[in-house]
Amino acid sequence: MIKVNNLTKRFGRHLAVAGATFEVEQGQVVGFLGPNGAGKTTTIRMLTGFLPPTSGSAAIDSLDVSRHSVEARRQIGYLPESVPLYRDMRVREYLRFRGQIKGLKGKALHARMDEVLERCGLREVRRKMIKTLSKGFRQRVGLADALIHDPPLLILDEPTNGLDPNQIRSIRHLIKQLGKSHTILLSTHILTEVEMICDKIVIIDDGKILASDTPSNLVSTMRAAGRISIEIRTDPEKARERMTALDHVKKVNYERSRDDWAEFSVLVESGTDTRERLARLAQDEGWPLRNLHRHDATLEDVFVELTRKD
Amino acid sequence: MTNLLILLRKELRGFFLSPFGWIILTLVTVMQGWSMSGAMKALQDAPIPESLVYIVFHMPQFWFYFLVIFPLITMRLFAEEERAGTLETLLTAPVQTWQLVLGKYLATLCFYLILWIPAFIQFQVFGILADVPPPFSTGSLLGAFLLIFLMGTLFIAIGSFASALTSSQIIAGAVTVGLLFIHYFLGYITVIYGDRFPAASLFQHISSSEHLRYFSKGLIDSRTIIYYLTAATFFLFLTHHVLNHRRWRS
Repeated sequence: MIKVNNLTKRFGRHLAVAGATFEVEQGQVVGFLGPNGAGKTTTIRMLTGFLPPTSGSAAIDSLDVSRHSVEARRQIGYLPESVPLYRDMRVREYLRFRGQIKGLKGKALHARMDEVLERCGLREVRRKMIKTLSKGFRQRVGLADALIHDPPLLILDEPTNGLDPNQIRSIRHLIKQLGKSHTILLSTHILTEVEMICDKIVIIDDGKILASDTPSNLVSTMRAAGRISIEIRTDPEKARERMTALDHVKKVNYERSRDDWAEFSVLVESGTDTRERLARLAQDEGWPLRNLHRHDATLEDVFVELTRKD
Repeated sequence: MTNLLILLRKELRGFFLSPFGWIILTLVTVMQGWSMSGAMKALQDAPIPESLVYIVFHMPQFWFYFLVIFPLITMRLFAEEERAGTLETLLTAPVQTWQLVLGKYLATLCFYLILWIPAFIQFQVFGILADVPPPFSTGSLLGAFLLIFLMGTLFIAIGSFASALTSSQIIAGAVTVGLLFIHYFLGYITVIYGDRFPAASLFQHISSSEHLRYFSKGLIDSRTIIYYLTAATFFLFLTHHVLNHRRWRS
């Protein structure tokens, strides 16, 4: 559905997006992750045809966004980050205008308007001025606008930004539902959101795509980030030496001693499990062992490991 | 084409659904009435060998309020969309930049023409109320209004251009006023320095007050029509490019 190939955007001397390449398949819900200022919004603006790329290409449904801009835009329902709306319009009037410029008219327009008003929970505010609506409702008006022409692809730029927890839940629920019938590219930096909703994750930082995979694959390849904690009662120095000598162990850190118990954290190579051998070692050496635990990597570990600056 | 009409209608509705449009309409109507009554008084005081139309459009207050109309009606056009971020929603919808530019421009031109309905009625009322034949010919009335229309096409295009340059309505308005005053004073040069220098005819050719003098006598010149229409097209072209270029640069 989306094919991005070596997409680059330069603002003067600043390189905002540097050769981004990724794909989004039909029907997927893809989380587009990155710290603030990573290039998410710029990438999205190039996909939606608002900014022309400096080099590289992007295609929506095999329509190039520069050469077939208008046709490509027709495929997209876009919710910009700041949810820009006409403050002096009423909700229904706004949706009618947006539906019209997206090519709907007559009965089809009215049917779509009724449907998105219902779907986004805007029925009771449909006659209100947009400027009187709360942030949550405005977000829904923006979403209703994105949906009005029933596009196959939705691009949502931080749709839950600045909402209260209840509103976040209802928007998330809505996105989850939409995910059943639409391809969605969802930009965010809230990781729980991604874990709950997305089939695939694309991580971007400093304009570069750092990873593009399913959440579970990302976490499992990052298993190195998952470490093993072990607590034994013995001389810390000697134990550290013995444990470091084991296969697949990358590093052993002595954390602290409580009473006589020494606590270590053991970093192991990805895809291996050293707990059994650690237990056997303790038994052979006659160290009393009271805790042996592996920390599973979370998406947060993955994100931090990939985008950490220090 | 339909997109153009949709955008035009939305923009035109915008003038009437906010108090802003009505305030301008009121202001302009009052000023037109003031010019009209001032002109009738001038006719009453002393014999003037010119028609009422000519005098109305040569009252000192005419240029004063006339040049103020344009920044007021155009400053919002693109600056406000840019500030509110709605330019992004417009240009990511399947709308082409030229449709947006032309839609907004034509809507403003329509509103501008509506602004002149009261003045037109005032001239008609003269004939109905007074027991004398109106002291102007149909030709001079039509000529004057034709030039009002032509100046509108150019000055609104200049205002659109200024509005596309910035996201601040104030700056857009100030730039429009600046450009219109420069235009007005370039036309005034021959009045100040006489027309005995080689470029004098050039200044006369761009002078709106000079054109107004001829048109309000009923002398319609096709060169003038072409001058305004091409200049307007040029500024619309610039507006289109500024909008596209902002996206390249931003």
